[in-house]
Amino acid sequence: MIKNLKKNHFLLASLLVLIASAPISAQINLYTHRHYDSDKILFEKFTKETGIKINVIKGSADQLIQRMISEGKNSPADILLTVDAGRLHRAKEAGVLQSINSKTINKNVPSEMRDPDGFWYGLTVRARVIVYAKDRINSNELSTYEDLATAKWKGKIAIRSSGNIYNQSLMASLIEANGSRRALRWAIGVRKNMARAPRGNDRDQVRAVAAGLADIAVVNTYYLGILANSKEKKDRDVFNKVSVFFPNQNNRGTHINISGAGIAKYSKNKSDAIKFIEFLTSPEAQETFGKVNYEYPLFIENNKSDLLKSWGTFKADKQNLSILGIRNSEAVKLFDRADWK
Amino acid sequence: MEIKHVKNELLFKTNSWTFIAILIGLIIFLPISEVFIQLFNPSESWPHLKKTVFSTYLINTIVLTIGTGLLSTLIGVFCAWVIACCEFPLKKFFEWALILPLAIPTYVSAYAYFDILELSNPILIWVRENINLEAMQSLNSFFVYFFTILVLSSVLYPYIYLLARASFLKQGNQLIEAGLSLGHNINEIFWKIALPMARPAVFAGLSLVIMETLNDYGAVKHFGIPTFTSGIFRTWLGMGDMSGALKLAAYLMLLILILLLIEKKARSRARYHENSGSNKPFKKIILSRKKSIVTIALCSIPFLFGFLIPVFRLSLWAFISQDVIRNISLLSLVKNSLFLSVAVSLLTVVLALLLVFSAKYFQSKLTSFTNRFAILGYSVPGAVIAMGILLLSAQINKIYVDIILTGSLLILIFAFITRFFAVAWQPIDSGMEKNCKNINDASRSLGIPAIFSLIKVNIPLIKNTLITASILVFIDSMKELPLTLILRPFNFNTLSTATFDLSSQAQIVESSIPALCIIMIVAIPLISLNLKGKNKLQ
Repeated sequence: MIKNLKKNHFLLASLLVLIASAPISAQINLYTHRHYDSDKILFEKFTKETGIKINVIKGSADQLIQRMISEGKNSPADILLTVDAGRLHRAKEAGVLQSINSKTINKNVPSEMRDPDGFWYGLTVRARVIVYAKDRINSNELSTYEDLATAKWKGKIAIRSSGNIYNQSLMASLIEANGSRRALRWAIGVRKNMARAPRGNDRDQVRAVAAGLADIAVVNTYYLGILANSKEKKDRDVFNKVSVFFPNQNNRGTHINISGAGIAKYSKNKSDAIKFIEFLTSPEAQETFGKVNYEYPLFIENNKSDLLKSWGTFKADKQNLSILGIRNSEAVKLFDRADWK
Repeated sequence: MEIKHVKNELLFKTNSWTFIAILIGLIIFLPISEVFIQLFNPSESWPHLKKTVFSTYLINTIVLTIGTGLLSTLIGVFCAWVIACCEFPLKKFFEWALILPLAIPTYVSAYAYFDILELSNPILIWVRENINLEAMQSLNSFFVYFFTILVLSSVLYPYIYLLARASFLKQGNQLIEAGLSLGHNINEIFWKIALPMARPAVFAGLSLVIMETLNDYGAVKHFGIPTFTSGIFRTWLGMGDMSGALKLAAYLMLLILILLLIEKKARSRARYHENSGSNKPFKKIILSRKKSIVTIALCSIPFLFGFLIPVFRLSLWAFISQDVIRNISLLSLVKNSLFLSVAVSLLTVVLALLLVFSAKYFQSKLTSFTNRFAILGYSVPGAVIAMGILLLSAQINKIYVDIILTGSLLILIFAFITRFFAVAWQPIDSGMEKNCKNINDASRSLGIPAIFSLIKVNIPLIKNTLITASILVFIDSMKELPLTLILRPFNFNTLSTATFDLSSQAQIVESSIPALCIIMIVAIPLISLNLKGKNKLQ
């Protein structure tokens, strides 16, 4: 009997999924690239405080954007959440986001971390840093991203594939800072300095340094947090063998990227969606991101995570992050030309 | 087909059966046709792609395909031969154990071996210090290809093993005994009789291995080998150029088409003298003690690499990350996966049965022709089909503004049917050809209604085939990743998407729990399939 009931419920539920796209009050539909515990905690908290339910579809940002395009006016999405400013810019260009103007959000998000036209807003910050083997490299040998292309690093750098968005964004920031010709030369220089052909994720680059295969690696701070708090002792050992260096402190600052969100163009629950972004950018939610997910808050100096604090404070590149999107496809093409896999 | 034929077909063989079958066949083909149409749209980044990365994609794809194909054939044929024709201790165990790697999707295998390349670190460092950097880098590239091929082959070889084993068992009796009585030794029999005879089966298995290799995204991405499939994603999503991505997809399909043609040619030539004679059990070759030990050792390697080690590691990780179970609501993942796979397998089999029957019963060439289009989906990577579906639903959304197609369970099921239609179609087609042809001819001339013939005669006759077909589709659906990833509805996660989500947020350890569930759920029908095959052949 119980079994039957359950079965019926299940059938009913799947039927509902089939027909349901009509908006029911007090819920918002979220398309998200992020799948972190911190988000889950925050979503639950938001629902508890406001009574607004959050429906989630997870997927890679690009696929979610494609999906919003193909859904057009019928798209049930209210919010798009990604882990990179470049993708948010692409979503804006694709016409799937809408501009909003909220005083609270504008106060909560520094101007360089949101779209100049109000189409998307940063939620958390990650810095792309250099890690180095404590036992082989002295921090004063390191200086800038540009320096990584010089011959002194030949065979010493571990960095992931150019298919990765964080590298593409770093490249976009270099194009913006130095022009495309020098950026291409930089990419060729770094490619020649690689200890091995790129593979794996950011953590694998740190592993390569720890194993002695390379001396330095370019990685996101978030991944260092994962390694440091891994359940596997092997990972924690890897983390303990390296130190963090923030490049370009004497000029424009370290390249940063954001996780961010924008309201869908055809959102049917706009005001609730704005409330949600206001909530995520609030100081209280910002603290949760840092503690649970090793991400910097939007105002980096407010960082409360002990791990992130242990790496010291740093100066971040103040360039408006929409540039990462504007320069993205050029970055990919330059990587191709530099034969950076 | 000639115009005259088409006219005849339309005049004499169109009835509600063939009409519906043709329509369904074309609908199943629609998403793929969307991809083809895009070929003619201009792509701004195509010249760039051709100049820079195209040759890399091509070379890598070919190297990977050849490497995986060769290694899988080597393992598959060897295991099939000793299991089918030799007698040695533990044979009963290996007989089914060697199939188990098929339960592991390639991306899960890659995650289970995510750090395998670290094994080569000491060697690489030694080479760098004692020879030079360049030597180390070439050696590193070699290791990358080697281990990727190893990881892929270790879970794909069972396709060849299964088909070759069936073929060896079939020929066994007469040919091998004849060979022995003519004084040939066992080596000669294998190379001169058994292997050439099993060639069509081996090629059929090989073509499955190749398609799976080309379809793989997770493993090549993880090991950093840029292939066509990863290039498609990079161009589509990284450069935002869908038509460039589709052009790459078209080249990939061209490559597949060439391979399929080669396979078909190899098969049709050999089918000519295939013997379907008696299937009595035959006297097996009893291996000496020394040979038995070697055989057992050799059979253990694929089982170890393809199943035991990954499952062991995943279990270990699952153990240390038990607390994740709460967060991922495992029960609903299992339910969703099962619901989706069962629905897809039933629908696919029913549709395949309808299409095959309509084509065969009414001897409708036009239906056979459209059927061929409907089965193309299996050779198209899941991601490409998903792109076709997105295009299709965008067009439909434009016309009928009220329907929302993407993100409904219905469209996901439809996508699965397009992708796996061939998996059900192939066995049903050959089953009906073998078992029902004459009786259908008879019932047609007696004027018995088609529906009666289908239900009372055809279905009972090919009941086993239908069950096998639905199991095969079920297994493929459980393992499928890219389609579900791109097209899933709100709050709808399956075991495979949960595995991918967790591992893509750098939690490979945590992803072990849903991954293990896939393996366990798939292993059960896999073993039952093995038993079925055995009963039929022995």
